[in-house]
Amino acid sequence: MRGRAAAGICAIALLPATLILLSLDARSRRITHAQEAAMRLAVVHRLPSSDLALSGGARWLRTPSLEEPGAAFSDGPALPDPDPAGGAISPPRDAWNEEAKIGRGR
Amino acid sequence: MKRWLSLLAYATASLRRRAGKSLALASGLALAVTLVASILFLTDALHADADRARDAVPAIVVERIVAGRIATTRASDVEAIRNPAILSVKSIRPRAWGYLFVPALQGNVTVVGVPSDEPPLDQRAIAEGRDLKSGAHEMVMGSTLAHALGVVVGDDLQLPSLGLKAPALKLVGTFDSDVDLFAADVIACDEADARALLGLQENESTDVAVDLSNPEEARVVAQTIVDRLPGTRIVERDLLGRVYALAYGRRSGIVLAASIPALVALILLAWDRASGLGPEEKKEIAILKAVGFGTSDVLLVKLVESWIVASVGAAIGLFLAYSWVFWLGAVGLRPAIAGWSAIYPEQALTPMVDLAQLFAIGLAVVGPFVALSILPAWRAAILDPMEAMRG
Repeated sequence: MRGRAAAGICAIALLPATLILLSLDARSRRITHAQEAAMRLAVVHRLPSSDLALSGGARWLRTPSLEEPGAAFSDGPALPDPDPAGGAISPPRDAWNEEAKIGRGR
Repeated sequence: MKRWLSLLAYATASLRRRAGKSLALASGLALAVTLVASILFLTDALHADADRARDAVPAIVVERIVAGRIATTRASDVEAIRNPAILSVKSIRPRAWGYLFVPALQGNVTVVGVPSDEPPLDQRAIAEGRDLKSGAHEMVMGSTLAHALGVVVGDDLQLPSLGLKAPALKLVGTFDSDVDLFAADVIACDEADARALLGLQENESTDVAVDLSNPEEARVVAQTIVDRLPGTRIVERDLLGRVYALAYGRRSGIVLAASIPALVALILLAWDRASGLGPEEKKEIAILKAVGFGTSDVLLVKLVESWIVASVGAAIGLFLAYSWVFWLGAVGLRPAIAGWSAIYPEQALTPMVDLAQLFAIGLAVVGPFVALSILPAWRAAILDPMEAMRG
């Protein structure tokens, strides 16, 4: 009976033990990452943006946050086009409207 | 205590007797947890990496739009931003960067011009060699790119340019793999060399970076710049955060949608638990009651059985998801969420998940699974032993 009870306790304790193990590993990786943060930011400062070097299906879009405000592009092979009407950051419509009003008044 | 241990021992033995069913339930649960948790882990890690790096980018980037597309910024545009001076603007930097198609890779590399007054990089950012010197026709590139091009430190490389007017550049260093996520496809060189490679004239720049002494005033400064240069596109640093949230949220949503069949399997498993007990189990419970087990004992044994199956399934699922994403680099899953770059960064991701989140995921799996087993367990526990044995 003792053996079975011990096996049961081990099975129940497996989840908390796994979670603690994974969180400890995650914590140690975060600490290592944080120690290199300043160095990483210095490199990013040289780059056009902080976009990751992952790119989309459209290979010219290395920094999607900065580019192609009006162009449709595919996010990956056979994936639905995520931005059929343009980029994620819209053009400055308010400013353009304001400018148009000023222009009409001239 | 002895009673509890006896009940636990009985529940364990009962699971062992139905090893096939228990194993199938735990494996199905583990598979579903692995799929969902790995998508969540990966999305969180990528989003956090991009978000953390936002502090290093300029508060405002100004781009000139011509015919709905980005055009190069002129020296006169830079002058218009510079004069008259805008309060809280710390620096205005016209930047020379762009893409260069390299036929050997069948993909683009990112060429970044480094101004001569830029402070040298921390040596830890360089895996091999050193940072570049201005005016010496040198370059530093991502280690993944160097590997893809088959060049090593000390090699000269003639990159394609208009009429091959750009000089050959000497590779003097490679970026450390710790910054691979940002610099895997980057060639950093002198600004004049970058202009030659990209075909930018002396009075042109790709965009203008504006640094502010008070980032809170970004919106006001952006408005002032748009007033001076109507039609320009302003990218504020705060907006980048929204872009990342959108991009990774959307991608993880698509992958999660694709994994609906696995989630349906999980629901079916749970339904199997809820739908009641088989005749063998009913008979077993009847015998237990006949030999003196109380209703609460039977209920407890059934709950412990469910708890053990769910707990083992969730533990294996979370372990597999974590090791898949952070130890094995999310092989197979990473391109679906991250992107389809030609030169793919190989840097390991940093987990953002902590103990509280892991417990929350674990409880979200175990809780409903055990809860669903209460009703059939209760039905079984209140069975009349004679009636159950008669079948």
